[in-house]
Order: sequence, then structure tokens, then C-alpha cells
Amino acid sequence: MLETRNLDKSFGAVHVTRNVSLKLERGERRIILGPNGAGKTTLFNQLVGELTPDSGSVHLAGEDVTALPVAKRARRGLSRSYQKNTLFDGLTVEENLGLATAVHTGNATQLWSDSLAKPEVREIVNEVAEQVNLMPYIHAKVSEISYGVRRQLEVGVALATRPLVLLMDEPTSGVGPEMSKGFHDLLNNLPRDLTMLIIEHDMDLAFDVADTITVLNYGEVVFDGLPEAARGSKLLKDIYLGNWEDA
Amino acid sequence: MFRHNTLRYAVLVLLASAALFQAFTAEYFGLEILTEILILAMLVLALDIVAGFGGMVSLCHGALMGVGAYAYALLSTTAGIAPPVAMVGAVALTGAIAWAIGAICSRSHGIYFIMATLAFGQMAYSYVFEAPIFGGDDGLGGIARLDLSFVGIDLNDSRSFALFCLVVLGAIYGVSVLILRSGLGRSLTGVMHNEQRMRALGLTVWRVKADVFGLSGMIAGLAGVLAAQHIMYISPGLLSWTVSGEALVVVILGGLGTLVGPLVGAAAFVVLKHELSAVTTYWHLVVGVILIAVVMSRANGIFGWIEARWGDRIERRLSDTTRKPEAKEVLGDA
Repeated sequence: MLETRNLDKSFGAVHVTRNVSLKLERGERRIILGPNGAGKTTLFNQLVGELTPDSGSVHLAGEDVTALPVAKRARRGLSRSYQKNTLFDGLTVEENLGLATAVHTGNATQLWSDSLAKPEVREIVNEVAEQVNLMPYIHAKVSEISYGVRRQLEVGVALATRPLVLLMDEPTSGVGPEMSKGFHDLLNNLPRDLTMLIIEHDMDLAFDVADTITVLNYGEVVFDGLPEAARGSKLLKDIYLGNWEDA
Repeated sequence: MFRHNTLRYAVLVLLASAALFQAFTAEYFGLEILTEILILAMLVLALDIVAGFGGMVSLCHGALMGVGAYAYALLSTTAGIAPPVAMVGAVALTGAIAWAIGAICSRSHGIYFIMATLAFGQMAYSYVFEAPIFGGDDGLGGIARLDLSFVGIDLNDSRSFALFCLVVLGAIYGVSVLILRSGLGRSLTGVMHNEQRMRALGLTVWRVKADVFGLSGMIAGLAGVLAAQHIMYISPGLLSWTVSGEALVVVILGGLGTLVGPLVGAAAFVVLKHELSAVTTYWHLVVGVILIAVVMSRANGIFGWIEARWGDRIERRLSDTTRKPEAKEVLGDA
């Protein structure tokens, strides 16, 4: 469903993505682990088109999308959530989800009708609000909801485009342990045919949700395999404890 | 997303009543001032749509108004086309030019967007000033008003023309609300809040900006057509960047991104201009001081200040009788 071939990116002398090749099957849930500065978010930015790789290619559902701009990739089914909330703060939860849904359903540029009043938009908005447990907050403004709920909305907005592949950059970033547990259920309850690539530091969540795990270090894939194999991996422990040089 | 509230409705009713009162009771000079306010109000509504709801601060809306005025003048006088057709043609042409400007400038932001629109405006000004077909510095005269004699209305009468402009302004306001509440308007709001996210959701951002800029240009063009019919003469000064600057001052003075505020601003600006210019030739200084005071007070213009002070209070008082639980109550300690 999503594939990268030899993706490479440098900022000056800093090599942030080194020859990264990944292949995600339809419905696969892959977690990307790696310490800060490993190049995880930079990889995401290249996948969605916010950064252009120096070399290599990105393929979505068999199509080479490397040359496509962000919006076209999104319309082909690639959606992402961000590490820092990038919501529409002055609007309600419903309106946030509605904006994303309107783009997906082709109502975002209609001139004489309110996109949020369209039955097909409302249906998806309600469906996504249920999926990410936002129904109690549906009419609340973003400024009125807690940080944790905003993280749910961040994922909800990405989901509302009904993507083929959902990229989530640290969905539990900054939330407490209780809320983090809620995210386990939230992610596990998403449709099984949705392909997910998730950057996450929360190991519990990673091992609970992942079908496969990829570990990045200094922009390079150093582990690619099943969670069971990753769990006892000395390499992984060394990377997170900062002993990579000795690993 | 644009929403009406009780205060906005109340101010709209107040403004419409005052305009109607003035239209039916004023003498010639008062009617001229009223018409000036109404035409300026159309221009600032056009500007508020792009600047207040799309973050596109334009310094070419004066030029767009001028394009509408000149297009109407040329079509109706030189080309001899019937005024109603000339009006439609002028508005459509201005919309097309505005769309192209919006499409090109949509790639820039902030000060660069302002400078790009200023450049387009000055290009139009210079071209109109130099090209013989536009009459150069002398401008064009003999511009006819719309003929509505078939329904018994003589628009050559100042009172009828003022009322006609009021009806057109009402229609423009209604259309502006419809635009802002449409899918396009919601997307525009999304782009202003977070352009990067809208793009990541799959929206072709430049197209949304260009479409709204084109629609706004059509409104500015219509204001230009009516300005040309009002004075029955036009000169290149109409396209000058100072007209755009003045419109921006009015929008900020009234309340950016409120639609109602710019109407208040237009009325306040024209009345102030006429009252102060009767006393001193330095009336711009007084307007400047007022503008600085409004900006420094960090209120969103005159109407924004009123809305911040009383808007919520009025809504709360009204909702006390038919009260629904507020978001904070539903959310608890979230």
C-alpha cells in the first residue's frame, strides 16, 4: 500500500534519511521507533510531500507519488497527523472534522451550499467523532477542550479524509498515562483495512498496536521486524539508552 | 466561519434604518454623502471577505474598483453597449482580472502578498493613466446611469439612485454571507487558520484563494460601476493605491473579519471626512489619530470593540430563557 525505495535526504552536511526502504501492506500497522533526531518526522515529511527527498521514491497503492505535491498525495489517500496540534483553533470540533471531510467529499469549494450541512459530510463527521471518542465535545471550540482531547481531534481530522494510509506522528505526545491507555483502544478500534504508520515513543502503545516495528537511528533503518523480535532486542535498548556506538 | 449574533443583527437593522431615513428625508447634499457611504461600503465588504476571512490583505482593491468603473464607462459609452449588459460585462471582467491576481499572489503571504497586490494595482493605475483610450489624466465623462424607467424609477434622481445603491449593498451583503457560509467560505477560513493543514488534507489552497479573490473582485467591480454612474465621470485617481489604502483603513476602523464592522467603518469614515473637512483641511490627521487609537487599543475596530464589550453579554442574557448546557459544562474539567 505504501512503499519507499532508497529514500535519502540531507540538510547540508547532516544526513537525516539514509537509503530508507519500507514496504507496508494493506491494513498493516507499523510503528516507527527511534531516539530524538533519528529522522522519523523528516521521513514523514518526505512521505506526504512536505519535503522533497534528494533521491529515492515514494509509492502509494502502486503509484509513484514522489513528484506529487502535498494536496495531490492527500487526495490519493495519504493523510497525516502532526506531533504538535495543527488544528483550527477558533472553530468547533465538528467544524474541524467538517473541513477535512468537505475536502474528501468534494464539497470544499462549493459556492452556494454549506459543506457541513451536506448529509454525506455530516455522516462522516459523526462516524469519525465516534471513532475517536469526540462525540461529547462535538460542539465545543478547540480552545475549550483539553490537550488530550485535542490530540484525539488531531487524529480525527486526519481520519476524516478517509485515507488509505494514515501517518501519525506521536499521537500520544504530551498526554498522561490514563489518556495514553485510551489511545490504545482508539487505535486498535480503527478499521482493520486502514494502513497505519505511527511514530511513537510510548513502548506499551507501540507493542500493543504494532503488527511490525521499524527502528530508525541517525536516519537509517536499523531494525525492521515483528514486535516480538524487537521486544528483547539489545540493539533497541542500546539505541534508547544512548549506547548505539557500542551496539 | 462567519456567524451572525444578536448584536450583529441589531447593528444591521440600525444601519439600514438610518440609511432609509436619510434616503427619504435628506436633501441633495445628504443624499450624495449617503451614496458615497453605500459605494464605499460595497468596496470594504469586498476587501473584508479577502482580508478578514482569508488573511489576504489587498492593496489593489481600489484598482479593481477602477477597472469596473472604466470597463463600464468604455462598454456603455465608447462601445455603445446597453448599460445593463455593460454592467454585467464590467463586473465579469473585473472578477476575471481579480481571479488572475489572486491566483498569482496566493503563493505569497503577509507583507509579500500586500506588495504583490500593490504592484498589480499600480500597474493598472499607470496603464489607465497613460493609455489614450482611457482619456489619460482627463478621465472619461458622460457615463450613463442604469435606465429603470420601465419600472417607473428614474435613477438620475439622487434619492432613487441612493435607494438603488442601498438595495445593491443589501444584496452584496447577503451574497457575502452566503459565500462565507458555503463550502468555499469554510475552506477559506480553514486556510486562514492553518494553510499547511488544509493543504495536507488535500485542498488546492491557491485555487480557493483565487476563487474568493475573484468573487471579491466582482463586488469591487460592481462598486466601481456604481461609482462611475454616481459621478458620471471617472479619472485614473480611482485606481490609485490611496483608494485601496483608504478602504483598508475603513475595514480596520470598523472591525476586520466581521462584515458588519466595515459597514460601520464606511459610515463613520465618510461622515468624519465631510464633517472634519468643513472645519480643517487637515482632516486626515484626525482620522489618523483615531485609527492609531483603535489599533493601539487592541480592539478589533469600532464594531469589534462594541462586540467584545457587549456581544457576549447580550447573547448570555438572551439565552438565559432558552438555555442549553454550555460546552464547558458538558466537558466538565476537560
